[in-house]
Amino acid sequence: MRTNYRVNSGVRFRMLSDDQLQELVDGVLHVLEYTGLDVYHEESRDILKKAGAWVDGIRVRIPSHLVRKSLDLAPRSFTVFSRDGNPKNNINIGPGRAHFGPGPTCPNFIDVESMERRPYVKSDVPLVAKVVDALPNIDFCESLGTVNDVHHELGATYEFAGMFPNTSKPIVAWSYDYDDSVDIHKIAVAEAGGQEAFERRPNYIHYCEPLSPLVSTEDALNKLVFAAKHRIPLIFTPCPIAGGTAPVTAAGIITQAAAESWMGLTIAQALQPGLPFIMGGVLSVMDMSSMILAYGAPELSLFMAGLTELAHYVGLPLWQTGGCTDSKTLDEQAAIEGSLSVYFSALSGGDLCHDVGYTESAMTGSVFQLAMMDESIGYARRITRGIEVNEETLAVEVIDNVGPNGHFLREQHTRDHYRTEFWYPNLCDRRNYEEWEMMGSTPMRDRVVARVHDILATHEPSPIKPETEKVIEEVLAAAEDRVREK
Amino acid sequence: MSVLSEISTCIIEGNLADIQDLTRQALDDGKEAKEILDSGLMPGMDHVGVEFKAGNMFVPEVLRSAKAMSSAMELLKPLLAASGVEMVGKVVLGTVKGDLHDIGKNLVAMMCEGAGFEVYDIGKDVSPEDFVAAIKEYNPDIVGMSALLTTTMRTMESTIKALEEAGVRDKVKVMVGGAPVTEDFANQIGADAYASNAASAAEIATKFVSS
Repeated sequence: MRTNYRVNSGVRFRMLSDDQLQELVDGVLHVLEYTGLDVYHEESRDILKKAGAWVDGIRVRIPSHLVRKSLDLAPRSFTVFSRDGNPKNNINIGPGRAHFGPGPTCPNFIDVESMERRPYVKSDVPLVAKVVDALPNIDFCESLGTVNDVHHELGATYEFAGMFPNTSKPIVAWSYDYDDSVDIHKIAVAEAGGQEAFERRPNYIHYCEPLSPLVSTEDALNKLVFAAKHRIPLIFTPCPIAGGTAPVTAAGIITQAAAESWMGLTIAQALQPGLPFIMGGVLSVMDMSSMILAYGAPELSLFMAGLTELAHYVGLPLWQTGGCTDSKTLDEQAAIEGSLSVYFSALSGGDLCHDVGYTESAMTGSVFQLAMMDESIGYARRITRGIEVNEETLAVEVIDNVGPNGHFLREQHTRDHYRTEFWYPNLCDRRNYEEWEMMGSTPMRDRVVARVHDILATHEPSPIKPETEKVIEEVLAAAEDRVREK
Repeated sequence: MSVLSEISTCIIEGNLADIQDLTRQALDDGKEAKEILDSGLMPGMDHVGVEFKAGNMFVPEVLRSAKAMSSAMELLKPLLAASGVEMVGKVVLGTVKGDLHDIGKNLVAMMCEGAGFEVYDIGKDVSPEDFVAAIKEYNPDIVGMSALLTTTMRTMESTIKALEEAGVRDKVKVMVGGAPVTEDFANQIGADAYASNAASAAEIATKFVSS
C-alpha cells in the first residue's frame, strides 16, 4: 500500500490557467448581466423574469447570481442509456470521458454506391445509423443530413424514425420546431416504456441551436421548453463565426458562445432543476477569402478546447466538434483535418464530440469520412488512455526472467497484456510491401469504402420493440396528416 | 499623382479618413461627378476585386474599401442624380420570412455597395408583402433573397409568387443565395440567378445591369 501517491491516468492536456478561466467566466457573466440577449419567446421571458432576470422588451439580462445558481443545478455527470439496455452502448458523461458521433443537417450526402455528391434523402438515414451502430469508436448517432425528399417540415421526424430502429446507440435528435420534437419524443418514450421510465433512463438527447450573436430564437426556445418539461437531456449550442457573427479573437468568441449557451441553461434550470444540460457550440473562423465557416481550421480545435475547459471549469459537459473537414472528397486533406481535430478533441476531453463525418464545411455528410475517423478516434483513444504504472506493468520481474539477449514473445506477461496495451488498426495497413501488393495494393480510401460496404451488407442492429414500430407508423401517419394542407 | 489616382489608391487602401476630402478636392478642381466615379472610384474597386479573387486581399479589407466607396458616393450621388447620370443600379436585399440569419445578406449588401450599387437592405425575417412594398418604393433592378434554413428557403418560392401576383416580378431580376440554396433550387423556384457567395452575388448583379 502506498501513501500520498499521485496517479496521472491518461495524457494530460490543459491550455488555460484557472486565472484565465475565471477571467472568461467573468466575461460571460458580464455579457449576460449588462448586454443581455434578445429572447424571441414570450414564455421563456416570463420564466426568466420569474427567476430574477431583468426583462426589457425582448432583451433579457441575467444577474450573475442567477447564472451561478443555474450552473450549480446542472449535473456534471449523468448517463444517457441505450434503447435496448445494452450497457456497452450507454453514454456515461463525466470528467475524462470523450465520446464521438456524427452531426446533423448537411444538405448533401456522398452516395454510398456511386460515391457522388447529391441531396440527402430519406433512405440515407438507416444507412448512417447502421454504420454508426457498427463502428466501435462512434458512441452516439446523428443523421449527417437533412432529409430532402419528404415534406419540408417533416425531415426531422423521418430522420429520427429512420435512425431509431437502426442503432441502439443514443441519438442526439435535431428537429425544426415543437411539432417534430413531440413526434420524436413519442417514439423514444414508447421504447422506454412511458414518460416516467424515460425520465429514469433517458434514451436520447435533444438538440437546439440559438442564433449568434446573442439571439435566442422562438424555434430554439419552443424546443428547449419542451425538452425541459419532459426532462430530456438537452444540448443548447450556438454556431458563432469568428470575425462574422462573433469577435475575431479566440477569447471573444468563447465568451460570446458561452453567454448564448448559458441563456438556455438558465431557462432550462429554472423550468427543470437538475436537467442534464450540455453546453455548446460550434466555434470556428470565417475564412476571409471564401467566406465559409471553416470546419477544418486549426482554430476550430483551439476554440473548442478553450470552450471545453471553460465548461469543465464551471461544471458542465461540453458538445465538442471534430472529425470534420472542408475537403470535398475522401482525401489527404480530409484525413489531416479530421484526424487532428479528433485527436485534439480527445485530448481536451470534450464530452460529446459531434460532426464526425462532415465534409465540404458541413455542406455534405459522408459515412466514408465517418468510418475513416473511427480509425482516428481509436488511435487517439489509445494515446489518451495513457500509461499505467504499477508493479505488474513495470515488469521488473519479467525483465529479470528474460535477462540479456532473451525475448519476450513467449512470456505470460506478454500474453496477458498485448491485447490491451496495443491498439489494433482496422484500416491502417502495416503489412510488408509484398503482402500489401498481394492484397491488391489498396490505398486507405479503398479500404474505407470496403469497410462501409461490408458493414452495410452484414451488420444487424438490435431491433426495437414491436409496439414501438407501431408507434413510429402512427407518428409518421399523423405527421403527414398535419402537413397535408400546407 | 493626379487626384483621381489618389482616389483610386484611397479606395484600395480603404482609407476612410481621406476619401471624402479627396472627392471634394476633385470636385473643386472641376472634375465631373461621373468622371470621379468612372476614373477614380471604379478603377480602385476593380483592383480590389482582382486582388480579392487572387487571394491577396481578404474580406475585412474588401469591406473597408466598399465603405470608402460608399462614403465618396454620399457626396457624388446628388450630383449624379442632378446631371441625370444613372447609378450602376439599385438592389433590394433581405433575409426571407422566418429566418433571422443575416450575416450572408449583410456581406452581399457590402459587396454590392462596393460594386457601385445603391443598396436597400430591408433586413431579416422579411415577409413577401414587404419585398413587394420595397420593390414598389425603391424601383430596384435586382432583388436579392437570402435564407440559411432548409425550411425558410421554401419561402423564397412563395416570395417570388407574391412578386408575380403583385405584378412586379418582371420589373426585377431575382437573385437567391444561402447555405442550403443551390443552382437547381434557384431554377426550380423561378429565380433569375443563384450566387454561391457574396463576391459572386456582386458580380452577377453587375452583369444583370450591364447587359
